[in-house]
Amino acid sequence: MTLVSLAAKNVLRNKFRAVLTVMGVAVAVLTFMMLRTIISAWTSGADYAAKDRVVTRNKITFVMPLPKRYVDQVKATPHVKTVTYSNWFGGKDPKHDREFFAAFAVDHTTYFLVYDDMDVPKDQMDVFQHDPQGAIVGDLLAKKMGWKVGDKVTLTSGIFAREGDWEFHIDGIYTSKSKAIDRSSFMFRWDYLANDPNVQRRQQGQDANVGWIVSRVDNPKASADVSVALDKAFADQEIQTESQDEHAFNASFLASFSAVLSAIDIISVVILAIMALILGNTIAMGVRERTNEYGVLRAIGFTGGHLAGFVLGESALLAGVGGAVGIAIAYPFINLGMGKWLEENMGNFFPNFSVEPNVTTSAIIASLVLGVGAAAIPAYRASTLKVVDALRRVA
Amino acid sequence: MIPIRYNVRSLAVRKTTTIATALGIALVVFVLASALMLANGIKKTLSVSGQSDVAIVLRKGSDNELGSVIDVGAINTIMGTPGVKKDGNNAPIGVGEIIVVGAMEKIGAKGVTNVQIRGVPANAMQFRPEVTIVDGRAPAPGKDEVIVGQRIRGRFKGTDLGNTFDLRKNRPVTVVGVFAANGSSYESEIWVDVDTLRAAYSRPGMVSSVRVRLESPDKYDGFRASMESDKQFGFLAMRDSEYFDKQSEGTSIFVGALGGVISFFFSIGAMIGAMITMYAAVANRQREIGTLRALGFSRASILVSFLLESVILALFGGGVGALAAMGMQFVKFSMMNFQSWSEIVFTFEPTPAIIFRALFFALMMGLIGGFFPALRAARVSPVVAMRGG
Repeated sequence: MTLVSLAAKNVLRNKFRAVLTVMGVAVAVLTFMMLRTIISAWTSGADYAAKDRVVTRNKITFVMPLPKRYVDQVKATPHVKTVTYSNWFGGKDPKHDREFFAAFAVDHTTYFLVYDDMDVPKDQMDVFQHDPQGAIVGDLLAKKMGWKVGDKVTLTSGIFAREGDWEFHIDGIYTSKSKAIDRSSFMFRWDYLANDPNVQRRQQGQDANVGWIVSRVDNPKASADVSVALDKAFADQEIQTESQDEHAFNASFLASFSAVLSAIDIISVVILAIMALILGNTIAMGVRERTNEYGVLRAIGFTGGHLAGFVLGESALLAGVGGAVGIAIAYPFINLGMGKWLEENMGNFFPNFSVEPNVTTSAIIASLVLGVGAAAIPAYRASTLKVVDALRRVA
Repeated sequence: MIPIRYNVRSLAVRKTTTIATALGIALVVFVLASALMLANGIKKTLSVSGQSDVAIVLRKGSDNELGSVIDVGAINTIMGTPGVKKDGNNAPIGVGEIIVVGAMEKIGAKGVTNVQIRGVPANAMQFRPEVTIVDGRAPAPGKDEVIVGQRIRGRFKGTDLGNTFDLRKNRPVTVVGVFAANGSSYESEIWVDVDTLRAAYSRPGMVSSVRVRLESPDKYDGFRASMESDKQFGFLAMRDSEYFDKQSEGTSIFVGALGGVISFFFSIGAMIGAMITMYAAVANRQREIGTLRALGFSRASILVSFLLESVILALFGGGVGALAAMGMQFVKFSMMNFQSWSEIVFTFEPTPAIIFRALFFALMMGLIGGFFPALRAARVSPVVAMRGG
C-alpha cells in the first residue's frame, strides 16, 4: 500500500461523512460563485463599456436637459466622429404598469451609428428610418411584453404629458453581443417627440432640449481629452456640462450602489469561512478518531511530516472534489436558470448574467487554499503527536 | 426523558467541534438578521416620512415627486378643496415644494452622487413637526441659505455647517443648519428656499408636489375624489404614508429578496455542517446510547435527546449570530433608492420580530440537521452497541 492510497482510503473510511462534506463544500462554492457573478454582472456595464463614447449631460443634475444647439458644437470638436442625442421618456405600458424599462427618444439618423454594437436587421432599420412613429426595442423587452415587429403599442409618459397616449410602431428588434448593452430598452424617433404640439407648447418657442449628447471619438485614448475640451467649451455658457466616457459614467452610477456591492463582497467571503469551518470540523473529527492509528504509524517510523501530509492531502482532496461538484452545478444553475430570469426581468441592472472565467478561477483557488487552510490545525496536531500519548489515548 | 444537562455536557466535551459548528450557524443567522434589519431600516426610513392626516398631490402619471409638475396656479385650487385643515387665520395648511436631484461630489469617493434637493416654502418646518434643527439655525427666508439632513451632513463636498456649494454656476448657497427628521428619508435631503431653487434650476411657475393637512384622516376619500374629478389639471392624490410606502417598495424588496436567497444557500451549508457534527456525535457515543437504552430509556427519548442537542447547538450559534447582527445598528448604509435615483442613507433597524425570526431559522436548521443523526441514534441496538460494535 502506498502513502497516497492510504490517504485515499482514509477519506473513504467514513463514506457518508465524506459525501456530506463534499456536499457542504459544493453548496458553499455554488453560493460563492453566485455572489461573485452578481458582482461581476452588475459591474460588467462599466467593465465592458465602450471607452470611445463620451456622454455629455447637464452638470447640475440629470433631470435638466441641454439646449439642442450644443449638439452642433460637440460635432465641431476635434476627435469627435459622430454625435447623437436622446431624451429620457419615462415610458410605461399602461397594460403592464409595474414593468420598468428604459424608454428614450433618439435621433434616428445617428443613434445606431454611435451605438453600432446594437444590431438591427437592415430591412427593419430601413422601415424605422421612414416611419415617424417607429420604434426599435430590445429582444428581451419584446419577449417579456409579447411584442412583435409590426405591432402597434401605446405608452404613457411620466415626463411628456399629452392628450391621449403615445402610439408607436415596433419597426425593429435589436440584439447585442456586447455585455454592456441593455437588451430591454425602447427607442423611438426624437422628431416624433419634438414635433408633438403639446411638447412644443411647453417649450414656449425656445430652442428644443435634449437629455444628453453622446459622441463617438476616433480614438478611445482621446476620450478623456475630448471630455475636458467639451466641458471647457460650455463652461462660460448658461448651462454647463459634465462629460465622461461611458466607462467612467457607468462607474459613477455604480458608485451609488457601492455599499450593496461591498456587502455582497463581504458575504461571499463569509460563505468561504463557513465552508472552511465545515471542512476543518470534518478533518478534525477524523484526526481525533484516528489518534491511536497515528500513534502506531509514528511508532513504526513514519515522521510527523508524513502524518501532516496525510491530513492535508485528505482535506485538499475533499475540498477539490467538493469544489469541482460546486462548479459543475454552478454553470447550469447560474447561466441557464437564475441568469436567464435576471436578464429578462432585471435587464437594466444585469444585461448579462453568466459565470465569468475569473469567477471560476477564484472558486478553484478558494476551495484549494481553504482545503489546505482548514486542515492546518488538525495537521499540526497530528504531526506533533507523542507516540505514547497517542497510543494511551482512548477516543 | 434524558436530562438536558446530558446534552449540554456532551457539547461541552467536544469544544472545538461544537464551536466550529455553532460558528457556522452564527454566520448564517448574522447574514439573515442583517439583511432583514436593513430591509426594515429601508422601510422605516422611507415610511416614517409620511403622516396619516397628510395627503400628497402629484401630476397624474407620475410615480414620484421628481417626475411630477404642477402649475403654481393650481396650488390654490388644491389647498381650497374641502377637507383641508385651516390655521388660525383661516388659511389652508399645506406646502407646495419642488424636488430636484443635484449631482454632488462625494467626499472620499470618485465621481458624483445624486442628492435630493427640496425647495421648500417658509412653513415647511411647521408643517412637519418632526423636523428640528439640531445644529446651527433655520434659514432666513428669501436668502441663499440651506439646511442639510443630518445623515448626509459632511458626506458631500460643501454640505457641512458653514460650508457653501454651488446650486448652479455663480449661485452659491450657504449651509446654515443641520436638521433631524425622526430618522426619515428627509434626513438624506438638502432643503433650500423654494424660490431660490426655482430660479437656480429654471423651473418657473411650477412645483413638484403639494401636501395638505386634512381636518382628519377620514377626510381623505372625499379629498381624493374631488382632486381626481378635476379634469383640467389631471391630479393624482395619495395619502402621504402610502406614497412613502410605495417609494420604499422596490428597494426593500430587492434587499429582502437578495438577503433571503443568500440566507437560503447559506443555511444549506450550515445544516450540512450540523449534520456532520451530529452524525459524528452519534457514532462516537454508540456505547453511551447503548447504555442509556439498556437503562430503560425508550427509542423515542433517545431521538428527542439528540434532536435537543442539535437544537441547543443551533440556538447557541443563532444567539451569537443575532447578537453580532445587533452590532450592525451602528453601521450606516448608503445606497441609491430605485424610485428617486438619489442616494439615501439607511440604518439597520432591529425589531424583536426579526430576532425571533432569525432564532427560529436557527432552530429549524438544528431540527433539520439533527433529525437524521437522531434517527440513527434511536435505532442503535443496545446489545450491539455495548459489545463495542
